[in-house]
Amino acid sequence: MNTTQRKHHCVIGWRAPVLGGVCLVALISFGWTWALAQPPEAESAPAPTNSVAVKAKVPEAKKPLLKRQITGAELYSINCNRCHQERYPTERTGAQWKTIMLHMQARANIPAKQAKLILQYLQENSGR
Amino acid sequence: MKTTTKARCWTLGLAVAGCAMGMSLPPRAVAEVSDADFNALKETVQKLSEELHGLERTNAVAAQVHQRDQEQIRQLQQKLAETQQLATNTEQRIVEAAQTQPIPRQPIDEATVNHNFMILGDAEVQYAKTSGQHGAFLLADFAPIFLYRAGDNILFEAGFDTTLQNGSSEGTTTNASGQTVMTPGTHDSGASASFDLSFAQLDYVMNDYLTFMAGDLLLPLGTYSERSAGWLNEIPDDPLAVGLVPGAGVGAQLQGAVPLGDSGSFVNYQVYGVNGPSSSNGTGNPDALDLGGNVGLRSDNTVANLHGQPSGGARLGVFLPFPYKPHYDLEVGISGQSGEWDDAGNHLWSAGVLDAALHLGPYFETKGEYVMTRFGSDSGQIHQQGWWVQTGYKLAGLDLEMPVVNNVELVGRYDSLHDGLGTSTQRYTLGFIYYITNTLLVEGDYEFLHSTDPSQANQLLLQLSLGF
Repeated sequence: MNTTQRKHHCVIGWRAPVLGGVCLVALISFGWTWALAQPPEAESAPAPTNSVAVKAKVPEAKKPLLKRQITGAELYSINCNRCHQERYPTERTGAQWKTIMLHMQARANIPAKQAKLILQYLQENSGR
Repeated sequence: MKTTTKARCWTLGLAVAGCAMGMSLPPRAVAEVSDADFNALKETVQKLSEELHGLERTNAVAAQVHQRDQEQIRQLQQKLAETQQLATNTEQRIVEAAQTQPIPRQPIDEATVNHNFMILGDAEVQYAKTSGQHGAFLLADFAPIFLYRAGDNILFEAGFDTTLQNGSSEGTTTNASGQTVMTPGTHDSGASASFDLSFAQLDYVMNDYLTFMAGDLLLPLGTYSERSAGWLNEIPDDPLAVGLVPGAGVGAQLQGAVPLGDSGSFVNYQVYGVNGPSSSNGTGNPDALDLGGNVGLRSDNTVANLHGQPSGGARLGVFLPFPYKPHYDLEVGISGQSGEWDDAGNHLWSAGVLDAALHLGPYFETKGEYVMTRFGSDSGQIHQQGWWVQTGYKLAGLDLEMPVVNNVELVGRYDSLHDGLGTSTQRYTLGFIYYITNTLLVEGDYEFLHSTDPSQANQLLLQLSLGF
């Protein structure tokens, strides 16, 4: 590696990650600030998605989200949508959802109590 | 005298008899019947005669009705007999069938079944066109995940990756002097399939806050290795920086999560020990670093770690859904791993990863990782680093009420890699996803590369992905 290449490498070496980190932090900060600045929604129903979970289990209206226990349907929508498109509860049987939730509890490392609420919701709305 | 008396007696007797007969016989009717009375009597007789004829006709009709009723009753009785015979035959057949066939099993409540086996996974077909090369259908990938649940808290899971490729990357020919030489750009006849074990691990949920895992683990260095399936990753190929850290390792892990309040927030942790990276040739040369080749069983069937000490690692993460804002959440994590890598145990390999993901509603997502590794070598300390940030926006958020547009997501990614061995690469990727269904999607991307490695070039990627 000659001097020019080493110098080029050094410049890229500190500039790129710092620039990227700044952009990432700025983006996250903007999103967080903007989201918090929004007024609370009149109803705590989840935003529209392709999930029948949201359509099937609309939380009770006129109750602030923080004032009550979050439901299995909401946890399902929040957690599953982080990594993939939501699957319809009717796609699997109750026994299959039990297996899948054990798998996802380990894979996504979500709390056991939340996993149980999600499983309860999925089994109540499962295909069989 | 006597004769006189006798005659007198006969005379008296006759007189008494005549008186008696006169008293007993009715007096003679002497009244005469008038014409009017006779005519009235005649009319009465005629009326009675007509009524008698009417009754006779009515009786004849009633007799006909009765005859028809009798016929209907006879037919109904015949049909009833046939129906009773049919019912009897059917009942006999049911009894015979019940005697010859087993009683059907009652369906069970599947949710209570304590053992269950199922297959999840994904499959992809990819087309690639690299600048300056022929385009080709690059990949036929089938990646099943087998899940076996043995109870409420024990799960075995294994993921495989099966891909098809040409018979060999290079072919051989015999030259004029009889020597066998390699001929780049050709290949042996036929094709071969690679079958790789991506992970195979046993998960035991010990309690609500602790899960034990052992086997070939997906390592939590960042989150990408756990979310890299073809239909999960929104761009067909992996970020460059992901290659700086191992995706899996053989060892054991403890993990758990603690909820923060009732809003869905939580903190999670993972602590693990694995064999760690190794040297491909046993030396400490920097280009001999092998991130995935130390599985505890050598090619000569010797069971041993390739170096003296295993590696240890951990990740700490936090997931924060925004208050009052469903589908708005932030996930941040920090992770690292360190351990020996060369056979002599003279050099350490260490890595640190920062990961973050942000969702602003169901339509917008951005995520990224910063990866840094340091390892000692016979040539000195090697510093590697890379990072990537990826953003996607689903056009359904524009609420255009257009079916095709509503199924499209636009994606973009920037990633960078400095391998510490003289190669630096920056890559800009723009693309789209078309969701045919929620698990079947078409991905298309164009990648602009700027690299000190002249073999790297821009490329087009098209992929059909299915998650199941």
